[in-house]
Amino acid sequence: MVSEQIIRELTEVVGPAYVHTDPVDLQCYAFDATFEEWRPDIVVRPATTAEVAGVLTICNRARLPVIARGMGSGLAGGTVPAQFGGLVLSLTRMDHILEIDEQNMTATVEAGVITADLQTAVEARGLFYPPDPSSIKHSTLGGNVACNAGGPRCLKYGVTKDYVMGVKAVLADGRILAAGGKPIKYVTGYDLPALLIGSEGTLAVITEVLLRLIARPTVTMTGMAVFHDLDQASQAVNKVLQAGFLPATLEIMDDTTIHTVEEYLHLGLPLDAAAILIFESDGRDRTVVQAELDGMAGLFRSAGASEVRVAQSEEERNALWRGRRSVSPSLARRRPNKLGEDISLPRSAIPEAVRRIKAIGRQYGLPIAIFGHAGDGNLHPNIMFDRRDAEEWARVQKASAAIFAVALELGGTLTGEHGVGLLKRPYLEGDVGATAVDVMRAIKRALDPNGILNPGKIFVH
Amino acid sequence: VTVITEVETQEIEGQKTEAGAKSARQTLSELIGQEDTLGCIRCGLCSYTCPTYRVERCESAAPRGRIALLRAVAEDKLAPSELFAHKFYDCVLCAACTAACPGGMEVDRLLLEARRGLYAAGLVPEKLAALSRQIEASHNISGEDNARRLVWSENMEQRPAGAEQAQADVVYFVGCVGSFFPTSYSIPQSFVKALEAGGVRYALLAGEEWCCGYPALLSGNVDLARRLAEHNVEAIRQSGARRVVATCPSCYHVFTHVYPELLGDVTRDIGIVHSTELLDEMIKEGRLPLKPLDMVVTYHDPCDLGRKSKLYEPPRAVIKAIPGVKLVEMASHHADALCCGGGGNVETNDPALVEKMSARRLAQAQDTGAQTIVTACQQCKRTLTGAARREKARLRTVDVVELVCKSLES
Repeated sequence: MVSEQIIRELTEVVGPAYVHTDPVDLQCYAFDATFEEWRPDIVVRPATTAEVAGVLTICNRARLPVIARGMGSGLAGGTVPAQFGGLVLSLTRMDHILEIDEQNMTATVEAGVITADLQTAVEARGLFYPPDPSSIKHSTLGGNVACNAGGPRCLKYGVTKDYVMGVKAVLADGRILAAGGKPIKYVTGYDLPALLIGSEGTLAVITEVLLRLIARPTVTMTGMAVFHDLDQASQAVNKVLQAGFLPATLEIMDDTTIHTVEEYLHLGLPLDAAAILIFESDGRDRTVVQAELDGMAGLFRSAGASEVRVAQSEEERNALWRGRRSVSPSLARRRPNKLGEDISLPRSAIPEAVRRIKAIGRQYGLPIAIFGHAGDGNLHPNIMFDRRDAEEWARVQKASAAIFAVALELGGTLTGEHGVGLLKRPYLEGDVGATAVDVMRAIKRALDPNGILNPGKIFVH
Repeated sequence: VTVITEVETQEIEGQKTEAGAKSARQTLSELIGQEDTLGCIRCGLCSYTCPTYRVERCESAAPRGRIALLRAVAEDKLAPSELFAHKFYDCVLCAACTAACPGGMEVDRLLLEARRGLYAAGLVPEKLAALSRQIEASHNISGEDNARRLVWSENMEQRPAGAEQAQADVVYFVGCVGSFFPTSYSIPQSFVKALEAGGVRYALLAGEEWCCGYPALLSGNVDLARRLAEHNVEAIRQSGARRVVATCPSCYHVFTHVYPELLGDVTRDIGIVHSTELLDEMIKEGRLPLKPLDMVVTYHDPCDLGRKSKLYEPPRAVIKAIPGVKLVEMASHHADALCCGGGGNVETNDPALVEKMSARRLAQAQDTGAQTIVTACQQCKRTLTGAARREKARLRTVDVVELVCKSLES
């Protein structure tokens, strides 16, 4: 419960229209894109960095937990209040693109800007912000930075952290930190923006971000390769990369995924395939892009692909992507819940990981679809289930733990894109080790001695 | 979500009369159970296209939040309240959420069903309850004597032929706004001129045309909507015409999508077309002598016509058929078109919210550089005209039938 006095003080900072305590409003901030559900005690929606600072000053004094939140599309339970309750700090009103600097090719944005909106704005000026999490339309840049979001384009272009040049953030005690800047080379002191990237709202509340932009590729071409053997598909991916190609995307769907999509959409996908790869080439010169795509297609053929298709038009390109884009909806139609993991592996381990995860599915009697980014080793095993069935839920938890064990055994890590949040917290130490967790705790204590910022996320504080 | 049947409505009405024997929570959760909400995987994709979310930036103004509220009631974690009801009567029911939902959930249908539950639970906002009572008493939304349904035609040089027609091929269903709201008179006036220019034998139902039922449905009063529907279908039958044409996309949507659910088979042999379909047909048959207009226009898809009835091309075909008219599309169009803010009868309940939404759509229209917004809905015309006035934008909004009439008369 939040005292009347605190509510009054918060109201003075942001105004009465932006402080919510009615259960109807609170219920809407009780969840993210997972099945986790914990109602906050209060929701506050500030409009400026100064207001965020005012809110944090009050919360720090009152020891009130603060959970910063963008559009709540997280897949790790990172923005649900958990058992501590507290204040959900919604940053979606801070949705202004403050500057697009065409000379230096940077953008300065408030934390609540929707990623797709920034991309539209910069692309209109011939510029490009490459990170493309699948939540591109329903996640904010503040959230993308706080979780170091990835996406299909990351093999070629890198992840969110590769584009962050600076941040403005509010510390737990209400002080405003501005770190980084427009110089490309910047080694003055600790790399503080890097410290906050991927910190999931546990170290500070990011309110503004300075992002690096590049020139927009004007040509994109797409192809699809079908393999009847998973090892062949994996080896083909390595051959393509070793040959010097750098595909703009290189996506993989396993047989369970292919079947699930086909059942829903009847696209004519090959049901006897072990894997489908979708590959792209992009750039600013049509001849070069075409040559790269043809080169990759040729390598896939010689590496054992039973079928290789190259889109000849925008319609054909959309048709090839339709299967990949329809994976999540197809899964959603199968069972009421899905647990989408995002283990990240050395590329060579993909076939073995897929085999072991399939065995886990059989062992626990759960359908698991595997798809993801073959080029960078980031796989999305999705377990489909019904959370209301307690016995099934117990099996899901065991299967999930087993999948994490596979990732670690094969030299991988728990998460490549989604972050640890609440859901992967129990597995953290097993992955990074006790010393790393100690270092994280020390950093946390230094920046947030009262432990008010997103408590219980990543590790127990 | 269950299909609305008469028996169910009687049951709900019956429960209500048992002196509030059931709580609002029970009433709502009996209509919308947990199962009805589980199709929402809470991904949040619907937020991006939701016009109320985009102006409020608040989770409770997003489809995902609204579904979460219904689920919380079904799971007995929340009791419906006035604030709760407000979240549903603030939805424009534009169905952008349904179009965006990766799980294929019919979100707008669920949100409309919620209004039905809230009405049964006595949580309908008073202004909407009053509107329902007014429609019940006068059979139209303006509260005027329904015998004066042809008031829109009184200042015309020539009385519409349809007012006298004994034998007609088509009934023109004018709709309440076109009939009674002076700023919309020019829509039926233009349309009857076009019908007459094309030699269509049409009839007007005059006082026998009642409200189509949509406003009652939007308040959640399904029983009233059914009674209005029954009357209209009977009046059309009596006219002997085989087809009905509507200029109002909401009337059109209700005739094509809601009447069959409310009344079953009785509507099967009545053909319903929208005015833009009929105009398109007449143009293709060479029956309309269109003359050149030198204009750059953009087209605004009304939600009830576009996303909810899938009629995207007929209005565009009509616009393109007029020599000299250049059509430029807005940033979002066809299935992605943004609601003008005029849907869902939010205007009655929360006009400030409508203003914010219409300003956003107006800005998209301004970005095209067009001088005129063409739409195919009197409500969209009213909303966008109001927005242009407030924003002091030099941009007119006209209905397709008005554009056609202008071309015929130029």
